[in-house]
Amino acid sequence: MKAPLSWLREYVDVSETPAVLAEQLPMLGLGVESVEQAGDEVVFDLEIASNRPDLLSLIGIAREMAAWRRRDVRLPEDRLEEHDPAASTLTAVQIADAGLCPRYVAHVITGVTVGPSPAWLASRLEAAGVRPINNIVDATNYVMLEWGQPQHAFDLDTLAERRIVVRPAAAGERLVTLDGLERDLDPQILVIADARRPVAVAGIMGGGETEISATTRRVLLEAASFAPAGVRRTSRRLGLRTEASARFERGVDPEGTARAARRCAQLIAELAGGRVLRGGVDAYPRPASRPTIVLRLPRLRRVLGMTVPAADAEAILTRLGIDLRRDGDIIRATPPIGRRDLEREEDLIEEVVRHYGYERIPEALPVETMHQGRRAAKLETEASARDALIRAGLTEACTISLVSVRLLERLGLEDGDPWRNPVPLHNPLTSDHTHLRPCLLPGLLEAARINVSHRREAVHLFEIGRVFARGQTAGIDERRALALALRGPWLTRDRDVTFLHLRGALETLFAELRIGPLEIQPAQRAWLHPYRGGEIVFGGDVVGAAGELHPDVAARFDLPGRTYVAEMTLGGLLERAVTQPRFSGFPRFPAVRRDVAVVAPEALPQSHVESVIREIAGILLESVELFDVYAGPPLAQGRRNLAYTLIFRAPDRTLAGEEVDGVIRRIHEALPERLPVTIRL
Amino acid sequence: MSDEVDRLMEETTAALRAAATPEDLEAVRRAALGRRGTLAGLMATLPRMPETQRAAFGARLNRARAAIEEAMATRAAELSTYVAAARLEAERIDVTLPGLRGPVGRRHILRRTLDEVERIFMGLGFEVVEGPEVETEEFNFERLNMPIDHPARDTQDTFYLADDLLLRTQSTAVDTRVMLERTPPMRIVTSGRCYRRDTVDATHMPVFHQVDGFMVGEGITFADLKGVLATFAREMFGPQTRTRFQPSYFPFTEPSAELAVTFEGRWLELGGCGMFHPRVLEMGGIDPERYTAFAFGLGVDRPAMVRYGIPDIRLFWENDLRLLGQF
Repeated sequence: MKAPLSWLREYVDVSETPAVLAEQLPMLGLGVESVEQAGDEVVFDLEIASNRPDLLSLIGIAREMAAWRRRDVRLPEDRLEEHDPAASTLTAVQIADAGLCPRYVAHVITGVTVGPSPAWLASRLEAAGVRPINNIVDATNYVMLEWGQPQHAFDLDTLAERRIVVRPAAAGERLVTLDGLERDLDPQILVIADARRPVAVAGIMGGGETEISATTRRVLLEAASFAPAGVRRTSRRLGLRTEASARFERGVDPEGTARAARRCAQLIAELAGGRVLRGGVDAYPRPASRPTIVLRLPRLRRVLGMTVPAADAEAILTRLGIDLRRDGDIIRATPPIGRRDLEREEDLIEEVVRHYGYERIPEALPVETMHQGRRAAKLETEASARDALIRAGLTEACTISLVSVRLLERLGLEDGDPWRNPVPLHNPLTSDHTHLRPCLLPGLLEAARINVSHRREAVHLFEIGRVFARGQTAGIDERRALALALRGPWLTRDRDVTFLHLRGALETLFAELRIGPLEIQPAQRAWLHPYRGGEIVFGGDVVGAAGELHPDVAARFDLPGRTYVAEMTLGGLLERAVTQPRFSGFPRFPAVRRDVAVVAPEALPQSHVESVIREIAGILLESVELFDVYAGPPLAQGRRNLAYTLIFRAPDRTLAGEEVDGVIRRIHEALPERLPVTIRL
Repeated sequence: MSDEVDRLMEETTAALRAAATPEDLEAVRRAALGRRGTLAGLMATLPRMPETQRAAFGARLNRARAAIEEAMATRAAELSTYVAAARLEAERIDVTLPGLRGPVGRRHILRRTLDEVERIFMGLGFEVVEGPEVETEEFNFERLNMPIDHPARDTQDTFYLADDLLLRTQSTAVDTRVMLERTPPMRIVTSGRCYRRDTVDATHMPVFHQVDGFMVGEGITFADLKGVLATFAREMFGPQTRTRFQPSYFPFTEPSAELAVTFEGRWLELGGCGMFHPRVLEMGGIDPERYTAFAFGLGVDRPAMVRYGIPDIRLFWENDLRLLGQF
């Protein structure tokens, strides 16, 4: 809202400098977007909150300044002279639905001479950002800026039967609006019509055929109130925002309509000559009531934590145009016309404190039972998972949760893969962000691509974030996921990461969450190298997959060489995590160590060998560790040697060597029986 | 004879000085003190000496032996120090070679900021909770006093997934869920991603982070709100930080304010706050006559840009390790 300072001074004394005003108006909630100086004129461009349509008027702004400085507001005098015959003999107004148009006031002014406005008026409009057109139209715009009530002037003699019908448009009706565009109308759009056809889109813009022209002699002046939601919808649909629609969208108080209409009729008569016919026509089927709001001063104190003297509260509310009566601690207030935002006690509390000064409220700290805040358990374990990966040397990434099908397709997913069925946005804004991410991987690979494009060799990233899937029945599944992407050198400068580094990072995570050993079973995923990846199994469920990125996928992300990736859901892990471990004591008896070595086919996962060892060794086995893997001469092609160190220990006695040897013998017997392996002794 | 003792002492002293290894030292010892050494030869002359001289000469020989032994021990000690030093010298390394470093992982700068904010509020007794990013109109709008057709309910700026499902536009939606689940008093903070239909540019992303908090109790006031947020600001931005509360409008709070703090000589806008609107409390099953509540919603991304001097909001989302490695 552009407010020229000279114009504001019509209604309130303003002695402050523009600089002081620019600093102080925001402390009233009037944001100052800019202050422009043009000659003698200073124009403030103010940012108006959506609940304050009254501040889209100079009188509304003047009231705020008056309350701020405890000054008086001067309202324009009503000097309207009315002449016979009554307007109702010449025109009529019919409202089809008072819900959409609570009030419609029409004045008829006859014998006008259309011409340019006087300079003082034209320059004021220009300063306020409105282009002068002719004296009639300019008068409507002037009063709109003054009172916040949009008005429209029709050439009465272009209206069929010279009457007004406010109704929804009929299907197929059209209207050429003042901007020259032909608009298709439908029953969702409220129009102003004459006896035959629409002549204006209600609350937004008039039509070309009935506008004021050089030959106009008789004017029908419209001042109305339209339902905000309807105007907002129509304005959106037509892509048409006007000064009028901006005001109606926020709500124009029907109580103020007649007053502004009289002011405008008077101004037209003054500017263009002519006579205002008696009475006008006022269609106001259900007059709005003005509420009485009770403000309890103790409540004011309870909400603010500060005492505002009753006299100050009264003075502030009165300057804002509120009628009030105080009875001890109780103030009964009737808000002024135009302040439909004032509905209940809290609204008045805000008015008082806004003008009393937010800066006068002291800083206090709430007196409550003392207690230390904490994170919800799941957030705490998420934080420990994050810390574990960071301590393992990975850097956390943060990638956008909106993706495109194009990006997902780079993963080369198969038909039926749930990631191929992401949740679409109903109203996406750009083609890059059309769906909710079903997985973290593409975002992480994009991040890797960006780093590689900067010639960064070592990229070790992870992300913990939400992923989304269509729910089983309805709704949307929102889950916590983890993804990793590793490439380039890591622990040493001259060696690139391998699958084992990826696995090691996941093992660190499992160990830190104390959720048992990591289990990965060979399996295939479209995005993984078919022989260098597997499924992550947790608690019997497949929770994700890990491995080397498929070379085709890597190529689609411009990632040369090998990249190791994993993606898994995290919820189950976090639920089972042990965040408060207990000390388990040191062993009291010595351990016995034995090695077991087998020659196995290379295609046989070592985990199979390990699980046979664990099963046979039983409870005496404290740990088993694969310490050597060897393939090459003298072993046959396709075979490898796997060597394990087994630690045995009993909790209650010193183990005898013979007892352990017996266990080893049984392992040596069982392994070749169950697996295609030979024992190396 | 006594000349021979003097010569022995002179020769042995010179030989010891020349000895460079333990072997040299042993040779000197053998020559002087060995069974066939010089001193032994002189000892052998004792019996043939006249009785009057024997005692004196014997004593002199004993003194010579003691002197040689002491000189040898001294020299041996010198030598061993020298040898050890030489061995250490042979192990010389170049301490200016670059170090071998293990990988150091890092938190994302936005996570780091969120953690910092959460930690401060935990210190003020707030409990950190989370809520869904996919929300219903009911929780995102209606329960925050934005019924259908409310002007502030800007559906143009909201991503919809279905008629009633949307991506939350502010994390205040979580407050409405918590209020239904619990009974006062409450002191809650939540953080996470929010969504807005914004075109990507240097200061806008369709996804951004927010920290939202509220406190419900008997006798919670606007003064408490100011105190809590001013304390937060001083913890976050330093003890000299000043706060500014400017009147504003949010449908779910009244009175409402915009919060700004001083940072490096300018005002940095952090977000909005106010006293929860009685209607919001009523919808949350809380009696607004008995309880009052304040609430606040703080931006994370843009304040972090200013605080860390990051010129473009997109840099947060690119995950360029040249940037992440600096924090």
